[in-house]
This record gives sequence, C-alpha cells and structure tokens, in this order.
Amino acid sequence: MAAVQGGMVDEKEEVDIKTEPQSDGFVNTNATDGRQLSPSPGSSSSAGSSKTAAGAPEDQQTLLAVLQFLRKNKLTESVEILRREAGLPEDALDSKGVDCGAPGSGGSAGGVDGLDAGSLLSRVTVSSSAGTPAPTKAAVADDQPDVSVVLSAYSQQGDPALYKVYYSDLKKFIESVLDCHRAELSQVFYPLFVHMYLELVYNNHESEAKAFFQKFSGDQECYYEDDLRVLSSLTKKEHMRGNETLLDFRTSKFVLRISRDSYQLLKRHLQERQNNQIWNIIQEHLYIDIFDGMPRSKSQIDAMSGSLAGEAKREANKAKVYYGLLKEPEIELPLDDEDEEAENEEGKPKKKKPKKDSMGSKSKKQDPNAPSQNRIPLPELKDSDKLDKIMYMKEATKRIRLGPENLPSICFYTFLNAYQGLTAVDFTDDSSLIAGGFADSTVRVWSVTPKKLRKVKSAADLNLIDKESDDVLERIMDEKTASESKVLYGHSGPVYGISFSPDRNYLLSSSEDGTVRLWSLLTFTCLVGYKGHNYPVWDTQFSPYGYYFVSGGHDRVARLWATDHYQPLRIFAGHLADVTCTRFHPNSNYVATGSSDRTIRLWDVLTGNCVRIFTGHKGPIHTLAFSPNGKFLASGATDGRVLLWDIGHGLMVSELKGHTDTIYALRFSRDGEILASGSMDNTVRLWNAAKAFDDLETDDFTAATGHIHLQDNSPELLLGTYMSKSTPVIHLHFTRRNLLLAAGSYAA
Amino acid sequence: MNVFHGAVLGTVLQVMIQILKDMGITEYEPRVINQMLEFTYRYVTTIIEDAKIYATHAKKSTVDADDIKLAIQCRMDQSFTSPPPRDFLLEVARQKNQTPLPLIKPYCGPRLPPDRYCLTAPNYRLKSIQKKVSVSSAGRISVPRLSVGAVSSRPTTPTLGTPSAAKAGAPVSLTGQRFTVQIPPSSQTTVSKSTTPSTPAVSNVLINPSLIGSKNILITTNMVSQSAATDSLKRKHEDDDDYDAL
Repeated sequence: MAAVQGGMVDEKEEVDIKTEPQSDGFVNTNATDGRQLSPSPGSSSSAGSSKTAAGAPEDQQTLLAVLQFLRKNKLTESVEILRREAGLPEDALDSKGVDCGAPGSGGSAGGVDGLDAGSLLSRVTVSSSAGTPAPTKAAVADDQPDVSVVLSAYSQQGDPALYKVYYSDLKKFIESVLDCHRAELSQVFYPLFVHMYLELVYNNHESEAKAFFQKFSGDQECYYEDDLRVLSSLTKKEHMRGNETLLDFRTSKFVLRISRDSYQLLKRHLQERQNNQIWNIIQEHLYIDIFDGMPRSKSQIDAMSGSLAGEAKREANKAKVYYGLLKEPEIELPLDDEDEEAENEEGKPKKKKPKKDSMGSKSKKQDPNAPSQNRIPLPELKDSDKLDKIMYMKEATKRIRLGPENLPSICFYTFLNAYQGLTAVDFTDDSSLIAGGFADSTVRVWSVTPKKLRKVKSAADLNLIDKESDDVLERIMDEKTASESKVLYGHSGPVYGISFSPDRNYLLSSSEDGTVRLWSLLTFTCLVGYKGHNYPVWDTQFSPYGYYFVSGGHDRVARLWATDHYQPLRIFAGHLADVTCTRFHPNSNYVATGSSDRTIRLWDVLTGNCVRIFTGHKGPIHTLAFSPNGKFLASGATDGRVLLWDIGHGLMVSELKGHTDTIYALRFSRDGEILASGSMDNTVRLWNAAKAFDDLETDDFTAATGHIHLQDNSPELLLGTYMSKSTPVIHLHFTRRNLLLAAGSYAA
Repeated sequence: MNVFHGAVLGTVLQVMIQILKDMGITEYEPRVINQMLEFTYRYVTTIIEDAKIYATHAKKSTVDADDIKLAIQCRMDQSFTSPPPRDFLLEVARQKNQTPLPLIKPYCGPRLPPDRYCLTAPNYRLKSIQKKVSVSSAGRISVPRLSVGAVSSRPTTPTLGTPSAAKAGAPVSLTGQRFTVQIPPSSQTTVSKSTTPSTPAVSNVLINPSLIGSKNILITTNMVSQSAATDSLKRKHEDDDDYDAL
C-alpha cells in the first residue's frame, strides 16, 4: 500500500494514490451512499495500536472505519462490495471491531485509547507525512458524529499541547527571515492563530486553548483587537455554534497575498520540519494568492488588511464594471419657459450651449464605461418627472462651484429633545423635506421650506371639489390638517434606515423588526410592508431612478426589491457578517454594500454577482458614497478613516485620516469636488476629492498586482474641520446649489 | 417578581460588571446592569423550569446535565435564532438571481404589489344593524351609527364587491383605505321591510388615494336606488383590474 503524502488530499488524489481494487471500492462507496466522504488514511491518530510499517495498518484502519460507517448506516450492499474489493477477510473486521471497543456506538469521549474507528471517520484528517511519530492523544470523538458538521470541522492535527510549540517555532522562523519578507509572512500569524485556537476549542481542549490564547494573542496586530476579544469569550464548542460569523470564518478561506519569494521561503521551511501541522492548516484554511514581484512593505500590507476574510483575491476584482453614468434623457423644454436654456428637440444634439456640460447629451457617442440604457429595466419618465428634471437643470445653473478656495457653507439641522433616539435621517433631493427615524419606531417627516405638509382630502371632500379646474392638484390637498411635521406609525422596532424616493412621493423605512415599509407622502399612510429579512434591517435606499430599492440587514445579505413585487428580485449573499450600509451607484446598475466584516462589496444588479471586493477598513463600515461621476467610492467606518476606491480598477486610491470616532455620514458635492464627512466626534470635515483623484496614476503593474502606493497626504487634502456643539453628525446632504446640510441629534 | 437575595445580588452584580469589562465595553448607563440582571434571572429560571419538565417527562427523579442541555437547546431555537448559514444563503441567492429582472409596465400609476400584500385595505368591518320593523316610526331620525365589527388582522381584499351592508354614519376620514359609506336619507318615511338590511341611497365613494398620480384621479360615485338595491357595487376603477392581474 502506498504511503500517502501529506498535504491537501481530496478524493480524487486518494483514489489515484491507492492501489486499484481499493480505489474502486472507495469510488463505489461514494457512489452508492452518495455521501461526501473523504476518508483518508489517517496516520496521525494511530497511536496506541501497534505500529508496524508506516503505511499498512493505517490504511487498513481507514478501510475498517469506512466499513463500520457503512454498517452503521445499514448500507449492507456497499459493505459487501467494499469488503470484496478491498480483500478484507470477514473476521478481520470483527476482531478489529472488538479491538476498537464498540465503535458502533460512536464511542464516548475520552477514555477510549487506541484506535476508535468511529472516531476516525468522525474527522476529516489531512495526514501529515508518514514518518511522524508524533505522540498523539486519543482522538476525542463526538458523541454522535454528525457527519455534515463534523466533516467540515477541524481535525485532530496533533497533540494540542504541542500547538504552542509549533506556533512559537513559526514565530521564531519568521522573525529570522529577511526584512523584506518578514512583513509579508507576518500576515500568516493572525489567521493561523485564530484557526489553531478554534481547533483546540472545537476539539474540547479548553485549558490548552486558553493557554494558547493567553500566550499569543498579544502578538497580533492591533486592528484585530475586537475579534480577539470575541474569541476570548469563546471557550467551549457550544459557544461556537450560535455564532454565524465565526462559523463562516471557519469554512471560508482567509486570503493572503504573498510574493512568490516569500512563499517559497515559508513552504520550504514548513515542509522541512517533521511536524508540519501548520502546513496542513495553511493548506486547508488559507488561500495564498501568489504574485510575482517585489514583496510588499508593512505599510502597504496594513493598508489593505483588516477584514475578516483577509484581502481580496485578484480575480475577484477583475470583472468589468460599467461605472459610467446613464445618458440624461433629452427633455423638451416648454416654449414659454423664459429660461436661457435653449429648446432641445428630441434626437437633435445641437443647441445653445447650457452652463453645465453634463446636463445635455453633448456627445452622441456611448461612453464605453457606461452601461447601455436598457441593461436593467428602468421606469420611464412621467410628466412630473420631466418637470422635476427641468427644475433640476434650472437649479444646476445656479450652483456654486466649490473648490479649495471656495468651501461650501454648512447648515446644521439639530434635532433637539429627540428623546426618542434619532437613528436615521434623510433629505429629499431638492432638500424640501427631512425625515427622521427614531428608536421608538416612529418616522417623522418635516417640511424644511415654509410650505406645509398636506394630506390628500378625505373621500367625501374629494367628491365636492371641481374636478375640471386647473389647479385640481392643489384642491385635493387638505388645508385643514396641514402641519409642519407628520408622524408615521407602523414599525415595531427602532427605525434604522430611511430613504426618500426621487419623485418625493414615497418614503422607505427599515427597522429592527425585520420589515421595510413603504409610506406614501401624499396620504402619509403606510402602503406596503416588505418582509424578507427576518432580522434587523440596518439600511435601505431607493434607486436614483425610483422603483427599485435595496436593503441590507443582520442576515448578512442585501436584497434588491421593486416597489411592485412583494418578494426581492435579487439577493446579494457573500458577506460574512451583517450588511450595515447599502448604496446604489448613480447609474442604478450596481449596488455597494458595506458590512461588519470590514469589507465593501460591489454587486451587479443584473446578475447578482459580486464584482468588486474592497478590503482595508479595520472596523465595521457605516457609510458609503459614490462620486457623482460614478468612478469612485468613498467609505467610512468605525476606525475613523475615510477610504477612497477606484471602482474601475478595484484599488484603493487614498486614505483620509483625521476623524477620531466612527464616521456615519459621507457625501460628495454635486460636482464631485469636495467630499464631506461627518462623525461621532461632533465634527464635519471637508476633503479635497478632486485633488485625491487627480493624483491617481494607475500603471499596469499596480493594476496587475494590486499593490498600491498610498501617499500620506491626508493633512493636505483636509480643507476644513467644523465642530458642532456636542452633536454627532449622522447625515450629510448637498443641496442642488451646493449648500451642505447636516443633521444630528443634540446629545446633552 | 425578580428577586435576588441580598448576598447573592452583590456577587452577581460584580459578575455583570466584570462581563462588561471583559467584552471591552467601558461606557454604559448604570441601568444596563440592572437589565442584565433581570435578563439573567429570567433566562436561568426559564431554563431550569424547562429542564425540570423534561426530567419529569423522562421519569427521572433529579434534573441532570442532559436535561439542562436539552432545555438550552430548545430555548435557543425558539428565542435566540441566528441567521441562516452561509451556504444556504448562497444557494438561495443563486436561484433568485437566475431569474431575469422583470420588465416594467409603462403608465401604471403607483407601482405597488397586489392588494393582498399591501396594507391599504380597511382593517375594520362595519357591522350591519337590522332595522326593527315595528318600532321605528317615521319620526325616528336615523342617527348616524357606526359600529365597528371585528378587526381582522389580515388586510382583507375588498377589491371587488363591497364590505357588504355597511352602514356608516358621518363620513369617515380617508386614510388610504377603501370603504363604503352609506348615508341614510333623512327623508325616509316608511321603513320598508326587506330581508337585506335596508339600503337607502348609497353613495359609494371609493377612492384609493395611493392611486392618485399626477392627473389620474378617478372618483366614482354610484347612486343606487332604494328599490333595486343590489349589494354588488362594481367599482369602475380601471387600474384595479390591472392590479389584480399582477
């Protein structure tokens, strides 16, 4: 029987390595019982039984273990076939069975020294090299090996007491390599530490786990502190069960980007040593994305790392993203419009030059980076929308051009006496209405302009109005109940997300009760409750064209809905922790989601695929903002930094340091010149976005390898810091004329 | 009542404070500790009571670890559910994302799901009042009477057909709901006995204000004559037909 190599062995490889009859047996077994079996010749746990040559007894044991398993599940035919193929004598099975001491019952934990066939099967063992006589403790079997869970579980790699030794060995090695490699190889520490710790916990070695944790947790990077704290409270296997994030961490692969030279060093070192348990763990739980080139420096690595799943694989960021904007529709201006804008005729591009180029369709050519108009179905423009657009264009001509010398004025809306706990705020695009979501589950809408909020009249009154008059739209409104603000009741939990529709007819609110509600702003009543997330929904947003909206919540997915479907149209699943922030791209074809797993993902609305993964934040992300030209994304998190990302290339552009507390609001000015950020540290900061994006030089090398060279120019990019009177800023909004509005609740 | 005995309270309090410190929470209102104490008390007593039930069910004299484990597990599945696992979500997402995005119907008014899934239905039903034949005389002015029937928890679908035999009084204010208003005419001399509840002139005003778009208001009034009162009053609102076809 062939001795089996170490390393990742999957079924195919095993079949190849083993001799023919056995391989058939295995293949048959798998076919007949249809389970995901990957029995492997586990050499590591053969302590106790007499060890002869390296290969033979272990393979026999495995076979017997498989037989036992099949027997237990009453697959008698498979048992027969396997026994025949493997050439096992009848009695061998039984005697071995006796030896093993009632493996059928699954074996109770502890005390079963020697080989326990059931326990063998209850683990996926990736064997170490055959020659290792590592003294192993008896494998601790679960009471009832639950196959599906167990097969994805950790295996008994070696003596738990030796984990500390392995880890310190690795530490010593890495500290001894050349400087240029050390930074890269140090990336391995954190995932290795977590996986080893979880393995110890999973296999019920509580005291060793605690000792291991105590010894090495201090060495990890500071930005993993929160994770480590969560880990420290996890000492038993039962604790792991409820924690979905950790379960995902276990089963997904932590991605590391290491240069080829450093990788070779590491591989050589680990394979030389006798006990390459660490090598096994690396192979099983880490994904090493190797690139050719210079090893990265510590600062480069630090900039990109910090997320729960490591960095992003390079292929993850290679898909084409249509980040351009959709063409503005040509709008016929009414003839009696005294405005200086010329009349556009449908389809004819020539016209008198308007002030803003982006308004009209100056070029007939399709922007290569823009999606086609009907890539996703969008609602057509109604007359009222066309009127809105005309208003928008008029306002745009009066817009102030911002720049480093011309900073916007900031108007701060402070919510006084908000004992209900203000949790979400939104402004309409024309800044005429504010909505606030509160922790007492109410939503309140205020009118910012002198025009009051009016409901539509009651049915009887509507009967009485003159339906033919010109101003019927004003007559249907009820003057008697006009008021500055209206309260909307309906949710049964704090309201965490609010969004106005672009046509100002609807308001969305998402709440801890798991629903997203659509409210009509004409009648100020609730129209629909969208149920789908069964867990708190942290954020929601209407698409810039209306009709679609996206919501993200505690169930770690974001959902795309349309107002006329009671079920979501798309589900964006992939994050490892809650989705805390969801934003549409200006062209409505992509959705960006920020999550508590410290990554940002960009999803394609058409297919539901994740097209970009951005890592680099060291804390949960709470706010995102797309630049008006659609090319860049800004994100803010609890670590107080604002990161700027180039969507097309999938790279980090810049890092804006300055805030000292969580950033809850980010907004680009209307022309993309200034980025405003608001934070819990009661300040609003203005950054020079135009400069940050100008300095962008993306050559092929950067694009290929994902190396970034971040300049530390935050102080130059910071244009101003404005303090509020102990009022954390939770929302920012640029009016159409580039006045900055901010909102927050006074925290006495 | 949650009552911790004095001496115990002190140590439990210390434990709570220690827990908060261990998890790195430094700023908290003092009431948080009380809430944690209450929660702990409630949780532990619930678990132990459940465990006692399981133990007696298994005909054991004492409660042992297995009972407690079972109690914890059952409670966990009930109260502290966790979101579905990742592979399940990925599978569901894959299936959902395969269907193409539906096309948007043009000129549709407000785009809302079928009425069954909206909250726009009336959540009340008006009870019918049987007119007594003998007693009521001409002089009796029909006092506007509004009696509210059972409130159904589900929004009922009154799209076609009316909430039958509604008899309402003063116009009820419109709050995004469809309803029927019956205004008994004051000049009613004879009370005609009819098997169906008397149906004086019915002015049936049905409006769904959410359907009010920019210019598409449709107010339909059906005047049903006294004698030929039929209970089925069809609404002429075209949009609703489109609606239910969704």
